[in-house]
Amino acid sequence: MVDALVFFIAAAVCLTGALGVILARNPVHSALMLVMTLFGIAVQFVAQEAHFLAAVQVIVYAGAIVVLFLFVIMLLGVDRAQDLELSILPGQRWAALVFGAGSLMVLGALIVVVGEPVTGAKSVGGSASTAENVRLLARSLFSDHVYAFELTSLLLVIAVIGAVVLARKPSQSELPLVEERGEN
Amino acid sequence: MDVLLAFSRPALDWHALAPELTLLAFGTLITVVDIIWDDRSKQAMPTLAGMGLLATLVPILTLAVDGTDRAMFAGAYVVDDFSLVLKALFLISGYIVILMSVDYIREGDYYENEYYTLILTSLLGMVMMSSSRDLVSVFVALELLSIPAYMLAAWRKGGPRSNEAGLKYYLMGVFASAVMLYGMSLVYGLAGSTTFDGIAQSMAADATNPVAILGILFILIGFAFKVSAVPFHTWAPDTYEGAPTPVTAFLAVASKAAGMVALIQLVFVAFPGRDDVVQPFFWVISALTMTIGNLIALRQNNIVRLLAYSGVAQGGFMLVPFAVAAEAPARAFEAIVIYLAIYAFMNLGAFTVVLAVARKTRSGEIDSYGGLFQYAPGLAVAMTVFLAALAGIPPAGGWFAKFGLFRALLDAGGAWAAALGVVVAVNTVIAFAYYARILVQMWFQPIPDGDNRPIAVTGSLGAALAVTIAATMAFGVLPGLVGHFGEVSVLSALGG
Repeated sequence: MVDALVFFIAAAVCLTGALGVILARNPVHSALMLVMTLFGIAVQFVAQEAHFLAAVQVIVYAGAIVVLFLFVIMLLGVDRAQDLELSILPGQRWAALVFGAGSLMVLGALIVVVGEPVTGAKSVGGSASTAENVRLLARSLFSDHVYAFELTSLLLVIAVIGAVVLARKPSQSELPLVEERGEN
Repeated sequence: MDVLLAFSRPALDWHALAPELTLLAFGTLITVVDIIWDDRSKQAMPTLAGMGLLATLVPILTLAVDGTDRAMFAGAYVVDDFSLVLKALFLISGYIVILMSVDYIREGDYYENEYYTLILTSLLGMVMMSSSRDLVSVFVALELLSIPAYMLAAWRKGGPRSNEAGLKYYLMGVFASAVMLYGMSLVYGLAGSTTFDGIAQSMAADATNPVAILGILFILIGFAFKVSAVPFHTWAPDTYEGAPTPVTAFLAVASKAAGMVALIQLVFVAFPGRDDVVQPFFWVISALTMTIGNLIALRQNNIVRLLAYSGVAQGGFMLVPFAVAAEAPARAFEAIVIYLAIYAFMNLGAFTVVLAVARKTRSGEIDSYGGLFQYAPGLAVAMTVFLAALAGIPPAGGWFAKFGLFRALLDAGGAWAAALGVVVAVNTVIAFAYYARILVQMWFQPIPDGDNRPIAVTGSLGAALAVTIAATMAFGVLPGLVGHFGEVSVLSALGG
C-alpha cells in the first residue's frame, strides 16, 4: 500500500517535471523542472532499496549536471524565451512527436505482448545479496577494487593538470613559434 | 550479517606493486620539483623522467628473478612473466621516447615539466594494463594511459594541426570508451563477475546467450579503436601527423601495444570459449586493416602519414594470430608478443630518424629525403635497417615477427587460416613497395635543394638510434632472444 502510494506520487512528480522541461518558455525553468524529474527518479530508486543509486542520482545529476546546464544557459545569456525560437531546427517538433509516439507504442506493445511484465526475476547473474548495497559497494570498492579506485584519483589529478596546461593562455613572452614541419 | 560484512583489509603484496609505485613516485617528484624550482629545473626534467623509468625496471627485474606468480585483489591484478615482459617493453619504449623528446621539446614552445609527468602517467597506465585481469582495472588502466595521450597529442598549443590531432583523438577515444563500457556492462550483467576468470567460467557454462555476443563484440571494437584497426582507424593519420613527432612515436608504439595487451588478455583469458565470435571478427578486421592500411600508405607523400598508415597495417599483422587463437593458442600468443616487441624497436627507430632529419630539413615530405645518403650516411643506413625490418627482410628483426605469424597460421591449419596467410603474404609485398620508395629517395635521388651540409645528430637522438638499431639487429640475427620472452610469457598466461 505504502509502496504503491510512494510510486504514484514519485511518478507524478517525474512526469510533471518532464512535461515542465518541454513546456516551460524560459530555459532556466526547464532546467529546474529537470531537477524535479531527477528527484522523482531518485525517490523511485529509494523505493527499490537502491540507496546508493539514489544518492548518486541526486549528487551527480541534480547536483552537478543540471548546475552545469544552468551555467551554460546563463553564460550564453539565452535565459529569455524568445531566444529559443532562433535555434529550432526545421521539423524538430514533428520529429520529436513521431519518435516519442513511436517509443510509447513500442513500450505499450511490449507490455501487451509479454502479458505479465513483472516476473520478479533478476536480470543479471550477479550474486544477489540481502545486505544493504551501500555497504556492499563500499566493501567492494575498498577491497577488491581498491587499486583501480586509487589510480582513478591519479587520473583525475592528471586530467586537471592537462586541462590547465591546455586551457592556459600563453603570456606575451611565450607566444608560439611557428613550426614548418608538415606544412610546406 | 556482520560476519558477512566484516571488512578485511585486502592483502597487499608491496613487491608486486613496486614498479607502479616507483613510477608514481617519480611522476610526483617531477611535479614537486617543478613547483619548487620552476624554470630552473627544466634542464633536469628529462633526466629525472628517464631515471624514473630505469628505476622502475629494477623491481621488474627482481620480480622476474623471483619468478613466482602473484595475484591480488581476488585475481584482478596478476604479476606473472607475461606481465613482466610487457611492463619492461613499455618502460623501454617510454625511455626511448623520452630520449627522442629531449631536444624536440626543449627547442619548441612546449610546457616541459608537465610533458614528462604526462608521459610517466601514461606509462603507468600501460604498466597497470599488463597486470590487469578484470574489467574495472582494464578500464581504469585504459583511461589512465589514454587521457594523458589525448593531451600530449595537442601539446603544440600554437599549431592548429596539433589541436586538431588532440581533438580528433579525444573524441574518437571517448566514443570508443563508451562503446566498450556498454559491452563491459553487458558482459558483467551476464557473468556476474568482473574478473576474467569469472567471465571465462560463466561464458563456458552458458554458451548460447546472444547478449554475450553483443557484449564481446562491443568490448573488442572499443580496443580496435585503440589499436587503430580498420574501419576504426580514421583518427590515426591526422592525429599522427598533427601531434608532436615524439608523441606520435609514443602513440604508434606504446599506446598501440597497450591496446594489444588488453586484447591478448581478453581473447586468451576472458573469452577463450567464445572463438565462434572472436575468430571471425579478427579474421575480417585483420584482413581489412592490413590491406587498407597498406593501400593508402602507397599514396602518401608525408613521411609521418606514411608511417602512420604503415603502423595501421602493422597493427593488422599483429591482429592476425587472434584469428587462430583457438586452434593454436600457444603459437598465436607467442607470435603477438614477439611482433609487439620487434615492432616497438623498429618503429621507434624509424621515427627517431624522421626526427633527426627534420631537424635539418624542417620538412616531413618524402621528397626531402632525396640524397640523404650523400650528406648523412649514418642516418640513411639506420633508416634502411628500420625500413627493411618493417618490410620483413632479414637480417633486420622484422622477418622473425612475420615468421611467427606464418608459423601460427600453419599450426592452426584449415582453409580460413590458409586464406589469411595469403592475405598476409600479399600485404607484405605491397608494403615493400612504399618502404622501397623511401629507400630509393635516400640512396639514388639527388638532394632537392642542393644543401649537403651534414646533419648533426644530438646525443640523446644518437642514444635512441643506438638502442633501437642494436635491438632491431639483435632480434633479427638472434631470434632466439625475443623468442625466449615470447615462450616465457605464453607459459605463464596460458598456464602451460
